[in-house]
Amino acid sequence: MIRVRLVWVVLLTLCFVPTAFGDNYTPGQVIKKDFKSLAASFLTKHCVDCHGDTDPEGNLSLHNLGAVDDLNSGVWKRVWAQVALREMPPKDAEQPEVVDRLQFTDWIVAELSRVMRDKGGFHDHLDPNKANYLDHNLLFAALPPGIKLAPTSSPARIWRVSPQEHITRLNELINTEPVFNPERPGLRTHGDVVPTNHGGELKLYFGVDRIIQWQGGTVAYATAVKSVPAILSSARNHGLKNYPHFYTVNSAEATQVMGIANDIIRYMAYGPLSIAHPYQITDDPDSIKDKMQGDIRGLPTSLVYSTKTLRPLTPIYELLKVKEPTEEQQRAAVDFLFEALTFRTPTPEESDGYLIILQQSVDKLGHEDGTVLGLSAIFLDRDALFRAELAEDSKTDRHGRVMLQDWELGLALNHSLSYIKPDEQLRAAIVEGRLQTRDDVKRELERMLSDETIRKPRILQFFRDYFDYDHGGYICKDNRALTAAGLTGNPNGHYRAMFDATASTDRLIELILQEDKDVFRQLLTTNKIIVTGGDRVYLGKLNTKEERQASIDKEKLAVAEEAKKAEEALEAWKKANPGKEPPKTKPKKRPAVNHNISVATLTGPKEYVRVSRRSFGNGSMRPDRQLATVPEDQRLGLLTHPSWLVSHSDAMDNHAIHRGRWIQERLIGGGIPDVPITVDAMLPDEPNTTLRERMRVTRENYCWTCHKKMDPLGLPFEMYNHAGLYRQTELDLPVDTSGEIIDSGDPALDGKVSNAIELIEKLANSERAEQVFVRHAFRFWMGRNETLNDAPVLQAAHEAYKENGGSMNALIVSLLTSDAFLYRKP
Amino acid sequence: MLNRRNLLQGIAAGAGSALTVSMDPQRLLAATDESRTTKRVIFFMQNQGFDPKTCIPEGMPQSGSLANKTLPEPISPLESYKDRLHIINGLHGTHTSPSHSAFFGALGGYRGGDGVPPSASTIDYEISKVLPETLLPHLCIGMDSIENMTAKPTVANLSASGAGQPIFMHSNPNHLYQMLYGGISTGDIRRQHEARSNLLEQVEKLAAAKGKTLPANTQKQYGQYVQGFRDVNGLRDRLAKVSDHLREFAPTVDERYTRPEFETDWHDALLELGISALTSGITNTLTIGSGRGEIFGAWKGLGVEQQGHNLGHMAQPGNPIWIKIRQYNSRMLVKIMEALDSIPEGSGTMMDHTLIVYTSNNADKQHTSGANWPVMLLGNFDGAFKSGCFTQLDGKRPINALYSTILEMAGATCDRFNMDEKLAKKFDSGNGAVKEILA
Repeated sequence: MIRVRLVWVVLLTLCFVPTAFGDNYTPGQVIKKDFKSLAASFLTKHCVDCHGDTDPEGNLSLHNLGAVDDLNSGVWKRVWAQVALREMPPKDAEQPEVVDRLQFTDWIVAELSRVMRDKGGFHDHLDPNKANYLDHNLLFAALPPGIKLAPTSSPARIWRVSPQEHITRLNELINTEPVFNPERPGLRTHGDVVPTNHGGELKLYFGVDRIIQWQGGTVAYATAVKSVPAILSSARNHGLKNYPHFYTVNSAEATQVMGIANDIIRYMAYGPLSIAHPYQITDDPDSIKDKMQGDIRGLPTSLVYSTKTLRPLTPIYELLKVKEPTEEQQRAAVDFLFEALTFRTPTPEESDGYLIILQQSVDKLGHEDGTVLGLSAIFLDRDALFRAELAEDSKTDRHGRVMLQDWELGLALNHSLSYIKPDEQLRAAIVEGRLQTRDDVKRELERMLSDETIRKPRILQFFRDYFDYDHGGYICKDNRALTAAGLTGNPNGHYRAMFDATASTDRLIELILQEDKDVFRQLLTTNKIIVTGGDRVYLGKLNTKEERQASIDKEKLAVAEEAKKAEEALEAWKKANPGKEPPKTKPKKRPAVNHNISVATLTGPKEYVRVSRRSFGNGSMRPDRQLATVPEDQRLGLLTHPSWLVSHSDAMDNHAIHRGRWIQERLIGGGIPDVPITVDAMLPDEPNTTLRERMRVTRENYCWTCHKKMDPLGLPFEMYNHAGLYRQTELDLPVDTSGEIIDSGDPALDGKVSNAIELIEKLANSERAEQVFVRHAFRFWMGRNETLNDAPVLQAAHEAYKENGGSMNALIVSLLTSDAFLYRKP
Repeated sequence: MLNRRNLLQGIAAGAGSALTVSMDPQRLLAATDESRTTKRVIFFMQNQGFDPKTCIPEGMPQSGSLANKTLPEPISPLESYKDRLHIINGLHGTHTSPSHSAFFGALGGYRGGDGVPPSASTIDYEISKVLPETLLPHLCIGMDSIENMTAKPTVANLSASGAGQPIFMHSNPNHLYQMLYGGISTGDIRRQHEARSNLLEQVEKLAAAKGKTLPANTQKQYGQYVQGFRDVNGLRDRLAKVSDHLREFAPTVDERYTRPEFETDWHDALLELGISALTSGITNTLTIGSGRGEIFGAWKGLGVEQQGHNLGHMAQPGNPIWIKIRQYNSRMLVKIMEALDSIPEGSGTMMDHTLIVYTSNNADKQHTSGANWPVMLLGNFDGAFKSGCFTQLDGKRPINALYSTILEMAGATCDRFNMDEKLAKKFDSGNGAVKEILA
């Protein structure tokens, strides 16, 4: 393509020195070059030909793009994304050397970070959704000459606890969770997170383990029970949710934490007496009938608590039991609460500080109110809300890194698996100075991983973040669209089914992890599924027009036969009882038949899953499940389960773009640039038209550059509808489930597929997809995006995984004993 | 991400808290200067549904003036104010699943339900962001049975600042008084206020001390955490600085606060506190949840012995119990209007710039599809809305459209509120403001 260049461009060209970036570039190093000496020449050589001043491609002119400033930062962001993703220069143009591309993109990031510092900052390169901008092949193949890696580490940082982690931590103070039951290992037990309730809300419940009777139904129970919602904020997005820098604690949250602290401390001291009248605590509800008169549904006074003490009895209980406590009792309460909330022992200064606050509050308000208020300060301690990885007390190595030690290392390790405080053995290792080295970490980690009684909710959280199968209950569905998808009955039942499905998928993943063989492939290709009774519908097949009619005919025939039998029986009775009036019998009501679907036959051994504490009376979620086999040739692995399919749908239909994006980012390792603000990202509203047909608009040239990376990967899942039901027809015509992998980076992967199952089988056998999985595990456990300097860590983790037969445990051990996990850079 | 208004917003939700910003506290008292005017919005959500027959005058099938009509008995206390009243029938909320309450969905215009977390912010929160900043941008109060208000003095069912971010409402007037007027209080409230103040100041110092050696990349993140305590402690100082002004508006703490005979004593006290927060200029957005967004609630002080869910099972028209409750609501609305009318503002009174939105979190009845969602507006919001009339809509515009209309009249640009184009195609026959209700 021939373009007219401006004089400005010509001058730049004259100044350009090819590959002037030196031979040994280390990613992350300070680039001592400016716009003129680095960026202008790159733009001139690789961009301006097409993006000049006359009729520029994509209507984007770069010919007079100057040094990065706040006015042109938007353009520079686009340039960064396109060059980093290797979308630009186009494939048919001359490509920059790898080191040139790296240095150019790193320079843009550095400049954008500098320029945007006082304007909200530049964070795109830290966004996990953009982590794939780093070329996969650079991480897993031999590096080209000119690149020298630096020993890796992670930045020193503080990491705010997640809402679920926070609620689980608080729950430990007031509720005693059941011990591990080897007969039913799937049941929720001590160490598991507090899960969301029947409606998907995360709440802390008070005293539900002691409620033995209540008045009214499900809603009355939910209203009467004391509960508080999660306080700390977080986004409910797809993908990795909790990098250290994502969240802080604001004043509103701090104030609410203090309010809840008051409730918790009182409950720790007095149990249900803090939320109920003394008469409500009895093992004989009949004995207080006189106090339960009238309609008291929904009131806290409608609850009856057993007399059995079930909550943990702690030094807080001891302190508030006495009228005149000693300072030792006060200090014991402070120290206990500090460790319960921060997971480490307080320093003498911290212990003294909180003791003084406690005593001052007692002086002002008296023993009870003062103790409650004074102790509530500990709930607001930095380390009760953030986990610090500062590595302040260790020596810096020759690369400027510091290895985490003692409590910081112990808590980082503990947090990698658990939301509750370190178990006794890990605590002892920390306190006794036996957690100092890489081998120490490996020892403790392998011990914890092999101990089934130690719950590891963080591992399960990784799989939720990676697969995004836990959103189904939050996708608001149009009732009529649900009916059209084949579901009948109360639409609210659908949301409950989806929260049940999330818990089922959790358990299935856990079973695969238990085997710990070929984990990634198993997850993608297992024919097992955990189900409730209602899943017969969700795993059923949407009937074709003919099947629907056949079902209607069959039902008609059955009704007619039943009527005939009844008639014959009547005649027989009359014959046997001449002259007598036959007894009036009510016709037996036939069960309703949903002609839209053929339900699945699901059988298998019993299983149990984690569900929340009773939150909705008799309507609360139930843990009973079955381990079944999916209908043959219809489903394969997690991506074909309703939990995943519905999580990637919208109110009315499938979301083929989201599904395709998931495949592209989580399996193929490609990146998708942000949607340009000029794009009106809407599909046409055309009822009685397939989604594939409506998605024709994305095949416009301008859109297709990005959409070719998503749409052909998502459309094979059209073999399921938006409620997750398998279908062979759509709008009474054979459903088109074809798709294609385009420019994956692995030529062996590229090519057409006939449906989702073929696509999944192809990807499940791909080493590249396995490596992309490892990249996501790295991000989750390191709390940051990988850099090129992390390539050895990633390669070692992948090797460990492979050498151990596809072992997730081996992968985790490799990652958590790596420099990226152990070392911090101030 | 965080911004100052978000921070202040949530503080109103925390029991007994305070905040500060680095601006002149006098300036942040909404329109305490008579020459300035500011808009304010009050949302009053009665639970169990709002049957249109209890508010639309008899023989009024079509839109028209209320001038020559007599208001139905349940809202008869508003008779003298019907020139300010606008009854709207024919909005819908079928997408909010309002049977047994839409919870957050009532003010959010999205699917709600028991135990269903908010999926986006609610209109009251969004309005508070649009209106001029005040010391406390948004205040929520919740009225319930005395047992529930005592055992659960703060709950979050109606308002939210975002997905999964509920805003708590206050139900214990003693706690709320301490939060708003602790600095000018005496006795026990004063002592608790001082103890809490002392504690929070020390917590702030501890937090600041632990941040001194943090690396540069965490300074902003941690700085916001420390700033949170400064905000909390600062508001207290700022309220103290305007204490002379607040004294003029603070209600008197009496036995209704400390020894309530019925829950309605606390309901009245909470309303007084809410009104005082408006008249003193502490806030300009108030949400009142009568029944706290759930399907229970009690009004024994009105002589209503039945309570809770049963009330929702009764037909409301002609029902003496519901007449009592609705009249009680109406008297509360009158109290609000009288209080705002008594404060000069601009060339008129505070009420001239105010909009009261009265409706139910249950649409028209407890077991409902939400096909009809009656609303009453009081006040014309600086002349933006029609008043003294009844408007019958065609049932094709959702409550979201009403919320967009209020947002637009408050100064924001909003074609749709919490409804994307895809849903709008199913649930909204129009776009932007509901023109039929505008002046």
